[in-house]
Amino acid sequence: MSDVVLRADDLAKTFRLGFLRKRIEAVRQASFEVQRGEIFGYLGPNGSGKTTTLKMLMGLVFPSRGRAEVLGRPVPNRQAKQRLGYLPESPYFYDYLTPEEFLDLVGALFDVKRAERRARANRLIERVGLSSARGRPLRKFSKGMLQRIGIAQALMGDPELVVLDEPMTGLDPIGRKEIRDLMLDLKREGRTVLYSTHILPDVEMTCDRVAMIFAGRIRSVGPLAELLTARLLSTEVCLRLGAADLPELPAGARKSENPDGLVIDLPANADVDAFLRAVLAAGARVHSLTPRRESLEDLFVREAASQSQGAA
Amino acid sequence: MRRIQAIAWNTFREAVRNKILYSLLFFAVLIILSALAMGNLTLHEEIRMTRDIGLFGIDAFGVIIAIFVGVNLLYKELDLKTVYTILPKPLHRWEFVLGKWLGMLLTLAVQMGVMGLVLGVTLWLQGAHFDTPMVKAVWLLFVNVMLVTSIAVFFSAFSSPFLSGFFALGCFVVGRSVPDIRALAARLGPLGKTVLETGSTLIPNMHLFYPSGAIVGAEEVSVHRDFVGASYLLTTTGYGVAYSLIVLILAMLIFRKRDFV
Repeated sequence: MSDVVLRADDLAKTFRLGFLRKRIEAVRQASFEVQRGEIFGYLGPNGSGKTTTLKMLMGLVFPSRGRAEVLGRPVPNRQAKQRLGYLPESPYFYDYLTPEEFLDLVGALFDVKRAERRARANRLIERVGLSSARGRPLRKFSKGMLQRIGIAQALMGDPELVVLDEPMTGLDPIGRKEIRDLMLDLKREGRTVLYSTHILPDVEMTCDRVAMIFAGRIRSVGPLAELLTARLLSTEVCLRLGAADLPELPAGARKSENPDGLVIDLPANADVDAFLRAVLAAGARVHSLTPRRESLEDLFVREAASQSQGAA
Repeated sequence: MRRIQAIAWNTFREAVRNKILYSLLFFAVLIILSALAMGNLTLHEEIRMTRDIGLFGIDAFGVIIAIFVGVNLLYKELDLKTVYTILPKPLHRWEFVLGKWLGMLLTLAVQMGVMGLVLGVTLWLQGAHFDTPMVKAVWLLFVNVMLVTSIAVFFSAFSSPFLSGFFALGCFVVGRSVPDIRALAARLGPLGKTVLETGSTLIPNMHLFYPSGAIVGAEEVSVHRDFVGASYLLTTTGYGVAYSLIVLILAMLIFRKRDFV
């Protein structure tokens, strides 16, 4: 069995808007694969084409070009959707229903028998922490509670692949942590998770691999570790000088102070060993040494900048 | 089947929890009950008045509810974005449209059932019965309302509720006037005749569903005397169902190709 559960191959979507049928290229080129059992982050700034890509994968929007496969079948396919859970961006549900009624409806759409629907709904309501609100209509739910029932409905069909569009948006730090933990739990259960976001710290904490999309075009795809470790930006050396004199700094080094002592930020090309020898020979003490590698935010900003330069 | 049933039941549940529909039902009941007062203004024609006003109330409010709910049936799902949650489920788009339509029919059946019940009680209070002609008349009105719903759903698959409502109401008004349009066509020149005859063939003939007072075969039928026979009931029902299904299939084909952005 293939380990690829989702494949987007050169997907593109152009909308024609208004009376003059103006062309809007929401997605220009999106190619990536999601492997079984991983958490895959689909990153991009607002308006970069994340939601449109996911809508193409879910069969809500027809691609103008390219093709997509979900769970080995071309999109849209009912058999594939049977093994798929999806949470749309800013989820809207039938607000006159209670969580139990809503999950029962979703279960029926998955052809689940009544008794099993009831059992699953109860388990999921418990799992997302909505037991105390099970009889309340969804119109009385807060944003965070709606997001939780959204996750529950995405899991109602016991899916192999869970696709979440901006699941952290609008949540407080506790809510975000709960969703992160839930995604990690889903991974431990052997499910695959694909989610879109622009909240980078969450990605660093959860994702195995990511794809970054800017202005409708995918710029980077790969394991987070590989994308980030490729570049050493600088080395930060924290010193306690005491009575010693600071040796001459390498070219490009910057000096600052913090409560632990003097902080020297050495550029990536500096000879760190030579600098440390000079510092120790002068009688100073090295308090800490921290190589500063590229963070996801650095990579994101760099890719965004290179995209806008390319566009110019 | 379970999926279609789930969508239909949810559509019915939504209607049952919609206060606007209760208001419309309340006014319909009020009109039917007003027949009691109106009957007092006539000379020994109280029951005739109750039957006429009652059937008018069921017809008018059935059509109003069908258009009001029908045009919003798909539009609301798009406007409130609930469709984003439902369509990625293992559900064909045509199943979704069919489920919504069936749910709507169930809603209308219950609404018309309640109106019929109120009319029956009103007649009973006057010492009359909700007899077979009345049952046949209400059945034909229900088939008419089913057709109007299908037309409203068809228009709502590609236009706004306002335009859909306007078009659906237009179809109803023109459809009820088909005999008059045909009579007019007979008096016009060849071009006008062709245009009107073609138009009146394409537009569903909704006059068939309200035949009281019209000539059917060689006889005048009336809900107060001899109403239409079983064969009329059967062919007219078949006509209404066939037309509804054609319009509904067109709505499904349009919905199948839509992007939900």
